[in-house]
Amino acid sequence: MNSLNRFLTISTTDPDDTRRRRILNFLVVSIAALSLLAIVISLVSVYLKAISWENVALIVIGSLITILGMLLVYSINALFSGRIAAIIFLVFLTIVFAFSDTPEQVAGGRSLFGFAIPIIMASILLVPWSSFVFSSISGIIVSVIALSINSVPNSPAIIGFFVIALVSWLSSRSLEQALKELRTINANLDQVVVERTKALAESLERERIEAGRSQAILNSIADGVVVFDTNWNAILANPALMGMLDLPLELIVNKNFRDLIEHPNLSPKSRTLLHAMMEYDTQPPSFRIEWDKKTLSISAAQVYDYTKARFANIGTVTVFRDFTREAEVEKLKSTFVAIVSHELRTPLNAILGYAEMFKEAVYGPMNDKQVNMAERIMKNTQRLLGLINDLLDQAQMEAGKLTIQMAPVRPAELLENLHSIMDQIAHDKNLKLTSEIDDNLPEVLNGDGARLHQILLNLVNNGIKFTEHGTVHVRLFCPYENKWGIQVSDTGSGIPESELPYIFDTFRQVEGTATRVHGGFGLGLSIVKQLVNLMNGDINVKSKADVGSIFTVTLPLVIPEKSTEKWSIG
Amino acid sequence: MSYLALIIEDDEDLASIFAEALRGVGFEVEIIADGQAAQERLKNGVAPFLILLDMHLPHVSGADLLTNIIKREDRFAKTIIIITTADARMGEAYTEEVDFVMIKPISFVQLRDLTSRLKPKR
Repeated sequence: MNSLNRFLTISTTDPDDTRRRRILNFLVVSIAALSLLAIVISLVSVYLKAISWENVALIVIGSLITILGMLLVYSINALFSGRIAAIIFLVFLTIVFAFSDTPEQVAGGRSLFGFAIPIIMASILLVPWSSFVFSSISGIIVSVIALSINSVPNSPAIIGFFVIALVSWLSSRSLEQALKELRTINANLDQVVVERTKALAESLERERIEAGRSQAILNSIADGVVVFDTNWNAILANPALMGMLDLPLELIVNKNFRDLIEHPNLSPKSRTLLHAMMEYDTQPPSFRIEWDKKTLSISAAQVYDYTKARFANIGTVTVFRDFTREAEVEKLKSTFVAIVSHELRTPLNAILGYAEMFKEAVYGPMNDKQVNMAERIMKNTQRLLGLINDLLDQAQMEAGKLTIQMAPVRPAELLENLHSIMDQIAHDKNLKLTSEIDDNLPEVLNGDGARLHQILLNLVNNGIKFTEHGTVHVRLFCPYENKWGIQVSDTGSGIPESELPYIFDTFRQVEGTATRVHGGFGLGLSIVKQLVNLMNGDINVKSKADVGSIFTVTLPLVIPEKSTEKWSIG
Repeated sequence: MSYLALIIEDDEDLASIFAEALRGVGFEVEIIADGQAAQERLKNGVAPFLILLDMHLPHVSGADLLTNIIKREDRFAKTIIIITTADARMGEAYTEEVDFVMIKPISFVQLRDLTSRLKPKR
């Protein structure tokens, strides 16, 4: 079947040509086969004595000529041109039909229908309109034959030829158009398929590159990264994590985190922390754990799929950072701070004590100059102590070790303590230190007395430092419900507007050079700001050059329970 | 009758300053510079009229001496306890436990005036 198919098919670039040549071949082969059959049947008939030798000879010769013709047509069709082969074939058919019967039968009788065959075939084997050419040829042949036997041309038959030509023209044409459209559709479809395939290949390639890049980035991050799904199964981990935990990949990836944290390298306290992380995963925590001899800091964050309408939570990404070195440094730092606070202050306390003994003339009378010198030693020592305290506070705040401890505090007492220390200092500079408490401020409120004292001291100290003449005024007040405030105003040089944003920065004094004029580390206001922040309060400053500055601290007002009871009874 | 003041302070200079202030008021002064030694002394010796106790001591801390011996033994029931510390927060924690809390730096005059008021006048 396949070889027959190959035998019939002649491939060309034009699909219409291929189709027509194939049909022609089919017809040619069929006719050749029929001719062979005719020869066989007639030979059998002679053998059976059904017909005479003369007739058989005619049939055999006719059939052989037909087979030879078909061979010729086939060859032309296969090797040269389908169109010429078709024309020869059709003309041959027409001629065969013209002489296949008596002229009377051909012109108007039983053989007339034979002409319809090449007319119909023409529209199929050549272009559709060629059926009209063959209907004309057939019409002429029929007319010539009719005239040759002195008969009238059979006009209804000729009209019939044209009707057949019209019908076959229409059907062939619509067939060809349908085929053409089909081919266009196919071609478009092919184009689409090609484009889609290309796009898919490109996006796959992009994805592959992207995935490769992401993996490369993940692999080269120094921090350990592990990604969990919503059930805390590790779906991804990078090599840094394996190095950090000193575990093979198989023990991390595709394992549940609950199994991993049972590992003996993990301290029990850290295990509790990790359990807490998994249970309260709505708030991404950041904390430290002890793993073997290492300290690791962990930050966890939820992963959301933003392509989903409802931002679906698809897991957690956890970053491990080796904090061992930092933890050691921190420990060293706090040890250092503790040692410094003790070792630096102790000799200063002794200097202070001895100077005071001089001043008090413990070992015999002193003259005024000696007393004055003792006082200067004391003053400078106190200043040095103050600076050390500032540095220690700063160090503690940086280490996050400074905490606020709330207890009932009397605002009036705060002012008393302030005056007892600062009055002399203000007086020494010919300044006035005044204070007031608003009537609506409760007598007792919750606060960290020591730290509030420090805030007042630093603000007033700052005011005195930058004021040459006039007053430093302290006001404790209640601006609105649930808040209370400390306001320190001075009549000093004021702060330039350009410097206002920076005055609470560590180690900062206005204009840099001022440091030299006024001395100090520039830590006072920074400590105040940090303390106020620790107390959940706010601080702001208003200043006008040569008029003065106003520092306002606002703090949450909490009244101790006992006094609340007293008030409700009263 | 002499009044004995026991100064438990590891810093030699501070101890001598405190001693000078107390002697100036008329106390008899005994100085101990070590927590361990102070523990022995408190267990065996005479109960003093006044103890000036530093909370930060080598070997045995002032806090331990206070809670394990001084507050526990009846002998010290009448003894006036003054603790000294540089840590204001720590000092606050002991205000209910002891008679006086002094925060370092301790003023010579302040200590002298305070102890002078405490010492009974004849």
